[in-house]
Amino acid sequence: MFKIFKGTRREAPDQERGNLIARFLKKMRDPAERKYFYTILAGKALGLALFFIMATAVTTYFFGSKAHADSGAVTATTAAPAAAAPAPAAAPASAAPAPGSPPAVPAVMDQVNAMNTLWTLVAAFLVFFMQAGFMMLEAGFARTRETVNVLLEGIVDTALCGILFWAFGFAWMFGAGNGFIGNQYYFLMNTPATYGSTGVAMLAYWLFQFAFADTCSTITSGAMVGRTGFVGDLLYSLGVSGFIYPIFGHWAWGPDGWLNTIHPAAFHDFAGSTVVHTIGGMVALTGAIVLGPRIGRKFKRDGGGPMPGHNMTIAAVGGVILWFGWYGFNPGSTLSALDAQGCARVAANTTLAACSGALGALFFMFLRTKIWDAGITVNGFLAGLVAITCPCYWVSPFGAIMIGLIAAVVCIYAIDLLEYLRIDDPVGAWPVHGACGIWGTISLGLFATGEFGAPSPTGADTSAGALVKGLFYGGGTDQLVAQIIGNAAIGLAALAAGFVLMYLVNLTGTLRVSKAGELEGLDVHEHGGTAYPELE
Amino acid sequence: MKKIEAIIRPQDLEPLRIHLENIGYPGLMITEIVGHGKQGGVTHQWRGNQYKTSFIPKVKVEIVVQDKQVDKLTEGIIEVCNSGKVGDGKIFIYDVADAIRIRTKETGNKAIE
Repeated sequence: MFKIFKGTRREAPDQERGNLIARFLKKMRDPAERKYFYTILAGKALGLALFFIMATAVTTYFFGSKAHADSGAVTATTAAPAAAAPAPAAAPASAAPAPGSPPAVPAVMDQVNAMNTLWTLVAAFLVFFMQAGFMMLEAGFARTRETVNVLLEGIVDTALCGILFWAFGFAWMFGAGNGFIGNQYYFLMNTPATYGSTGVAMLAYWLFQFAFADTCSTITSGAMVGRTGFVGDLLYSLGVSGFIYPIFGHWAWGPDGWLNTIHPAAFHDFAGSTVVHTIGGMVALTGAIVLGPRIGRKFKRDGGGPMPGHNMTIAAVGGVILWFGWYGFNPGSTLSALDAQGCARVAANTTLAACSGALGALFFMFLRTKIWDAGITVNGFLAGLVAITCPCYWVSPFGAIMIGLIAAVVCIYAIDLLEYLRIDDPVGAWPVHGACGIWGTISLGLFATGEFGAPSPTGADTSAGALVKGLFYGGGTDQLVAQIIGNAAIGLAALAAGFVLMYLVNLTGTLRVSKAGELEGLDVHEHGGTAYPELE
Repeated sequence: MKKIEAIIRPQDLEPLRIHLENIGYPGLMITEIVGHGKQGGVTHQWRGNQYKTSFIPKVKVEIVVQDKQVDKLTEGIIEVCNSGKVGDGKIFIYDVADAIRIRTKETGNKAIE
């Protein structure tokens, strides 16, 4: 399958690639090998099934059908601030429920609510600050010779995304249209005062979503560091921000997205483990595959190793800035300051997943290599954050810790997988965002506590039919199946579209720089100088 | 006149400078270099995977001295930098044809006093 890319890449790779599938198929012609393969496969499937049975049995026995130990009760105190909200322009259109009774039906706000708009704006600013975190992380993990390229790509991807998201990105993603694409609000014209029934001013919501789109487009650049031509970067960025992200994101987050209508449980992605991170990670993967590895990159199975970055200081600080920005990414997705319990719960879950991700990666790597590895710890807490992004509204703090811990392990094995497949991903974009985005999405189907339904402007919908409940809390496999369907649909679509996009950009000849350009460094080759002129 | 060129570990530079201060020396130049001898390089770890470097950072110390001071200084360098482990470094001795002090135009041994 990879043969079609071999001929179009600018230069031949250092070692033979991509015949893993061919070798496997050849092996499978031998009946003895086939039998062995099926046996191993059956054994692993049996082991996995046993694990799920055990987990369900144990948790149902200890926790019954409700999560008593970690219940974060939704009280009616959200009703009081709603009544007292200082809104000189308008008050919430619906009457606030009487104090003392939990809001069972979500409030509808079709006039601007100042508190919610303010919170959404502040969250948008935090998510935007993640761009600085990404720039620092990628620059730190890149070599000196391509640092300016990485930094400029971060800025330009952001700028391009803004214009595209204004022009038609937002329209396709959040306009009403059909289940697959939106068809409203092109160039942000003819928009109502608020987005839907959130009470958030339209342009504030647009800004918040632009910041998310920007995050997705920046993720893709991470795996392509060091050998991507600048014009090629502009072209694929156009494709991701303008087409792939809005269209596939519409399926989950559009007002009429088809993943909201599947039965018996709808697909849920609170802040974007699938929509932002899986899409970004998959396209990053396709970019890394089509580009090929950097010149001189030898992989572990051939006796080589990674190309170290040039600045661990900026990489680690950048990672922590990303963690900080995540406090806008996740809690901001409540789109409501009045849903105080929701914001608090999401923020706490986000934090705990990052903590367990960091420690999980640190200790797991120490067990393997006897080294306290800083780079992998950064990847670890980012993996935890990516994973918790989908389920954060619906899981308990204990669940968040478990999700983060497993994400760290998933991330490390995903790095191993790429190394084995001879795919050069300099920052770990696919292991952190792609693989852990998949895990995070699926984890909702396991760890959702069944106490909360969909978020609303004043608080979670806790009516009986709306509750999101996962397998480990007695909710059966409905939600799990919905999560798998949603993530597979969007993930595979992004993978396919990514390959098409990268292949097309490659055909223009601008995706990969020339060999000479790559060796002298992208900074000197395309940007007129180095990142550290005084140290020349 | 001889030039003593010593390739030493970066962490030995400061102890060496202090020792030379005590025994007296005309001046020195240092250059940060990378290289390898028999040691061949080291293995480090980055984001969980090992990689081999062929070159190890070292410091090159160059001192131009009168012939009679060569032994004293080389013994001093060996005393400070000898740890018994591979990678201690090497000392090379070169002949210097002449030396001139730019300010006063003195030549020969007077220039390096």
